[in-house]
Amino acid sequence: MAAGDTALWLHNKLGSTDDLWSGKTICSQLSQDRLQSIHACFHTLQPHVKWKGYLEEILMVAIHDTDQWVSMVGEILRTFPATGALNLELEDNNGTFAEVLTDLKKLVKKSVDVRMLPMECQFLNKTALVATTGQQPVPTKHFALKRKPKSATLRAELLQKSSEAALNRKRN
Amino acid sequence: IKLISDAGFQGEITSVSTACHQIEVFSRVLRTSITSFLEGGVEVMEKNLPEFTKMVCHGEHTYLYSQVMMNILAQEPKGGSNIRRICQELQKCANQRGLDVTPITLALSGAAAYPRACQALSSMLSKKALNPADITILYKMYSDNQYPPPPVDLIRVPAFLDLLIESLFKTSSRLNQEHKSKYMYLLSYAASVTETYKKGIRKHIEKKELKPTTQALEKVQALCAQNKNASELLLNTDHTPLHLVLVDEIVTNHLLLHQKALDLLVRLFESSFDELDVMVRLELKKTVLDRMVHLFSCGCVLPVVNYIRECHARQDTDISLIRHFVSEVLKWHQTDDNIPTQSQNQDSRGSRYNP
Repeated sequence: MAAGDTALWLHNKLGSTDDLWSGKTICSQLSQDRLQSIHACFHTLQPHVKWKGYLEEILMVAIHDTDQWVSMVGEILRTFPATGALNLELEDNNGTFAEVLTDLKKLVKKSVDVRMLPMECQFLNKTALVATTGQQPVPTKHFALKRKPKSATLRAELLQKSSEAALNRKRN
Repeated sequence: IKLISDAGFQGEITSVSTACHQIEVFSRVLRTSITSFLEGGVEVMEKNLPEFTKMVCHGEHTYLYSQVMMNILAQEPKGGSNIRRICQELQKCANQRGLDVTPITLALSGAAAYPRACQALSSMLSKKALNPADITILYKMYSDNQYPPPPVDLIRVPAFLDLLIESLFKTSSRLNQEHKSKYMYLLSYAASVTETYKKGIRKHIEKKELKPTTQALEKVQALCAQNKNASELLLNTDHTPLHLVLVDEIVTNHLLLHQKALDLLVRLFESSFDELDVMVRLELKKTVLDRMVHLFSCGCVLPVVNYIRECHARQDTDISLIRHFVSEVLKWHQTDDNIPTQSQNQDSRGSRYNP
């Protein structure tokens, strides 16, 4: 495919400003030839099309792009083709990123008491929960119990019934 | 816009596309939002989440950038788990908007080191449905005695655990009996296995509670699979509401599930049970209220009291039921002068602890 055609193809696939989530649709259509021609025509593309390119050489071009969004996304994806993981060492590349990150890090350290627990905590048993988040603080006490609540009596009753039933079953 | 942002007035930038146009402006608006979440906790986050999601999900690039930033912050040993929660809420909201964020989630989760597990998970999470082939791959990797299993965190993905629970417990799901034990194994593994790390290297995997957890899950699953309707479940137990006693037990043991238990009890309490005689219906509702009293006695105080007060204010609840609750509470509980009163010590447990 000629470079011009490839650029047109990319603009058609990715160029809609209404849909900024089209990465998935193009992935399956990337072949070696196509990537080579994308590489060749990359500089002619519009900014919001550029950052969708996936592989290393394209990423290098993207990283050096003048549009800061393009170069940032390129930087994030730099390690992806080789390792499958995203690049998290971004502080040297973008001043604002570093500035915001430093500010927020300070705030995060101070936020221990906020205790917004990760969602998976609801699924964990006691041991796993303590291993993941440390001891849970005891809830605020508003009342003292005068005696064991009704629910405790009910529980004891049921346990007795069930052990009797189990015993009977054994005998029979 | 850049000038407004440079001057520090991020709050003034209200249009999403304006905020997203330049990375510098976007980063600062992101900082303002995250700061408000970290300072205000779950209540503030839940309130502002729709607007936050709208901005972050403006494009795939803004979503990627925000998740990368928060992922770095989530690695802070102190307080990082707060950010992890924000990441997860964001993922959930993006999902609800029909955006497939699974590749970004997995690329950030360290799953790349386990490509086969990653692929299996990714296909199920993207389709929002489990399938025996991918479950078998995961089961084999986590039950293998020869090779070390992937980290447990890989399957501790809320969306995946939800899917497992749905397949096992939703009566409409058609689970292949042949594979059922694998689903249970994976759910038990995620719930009970702990790992010890030293300098980022896994030193020990503790599976002591895996077997009892699997066995307990098998029992409960068999009971729940019997598919009975609600009133049948509540009434067929000769004056002893066995299923509700199970809710008591869960409440006693799991602080984090208090809000979920209350939601369930409220749903039962507000069900009409039209097929029942009026008196039987009242008795049944009193039994449900007794569960709320139990929840109350386990420390879930303000959410329960607020609900009952709401019932009273709405005037749609039989007054004898309100009276029943109040007299039960007064029968078993007493205020203690040494204990701070509600106004002095605000209890926000219900929403704060509950993911």
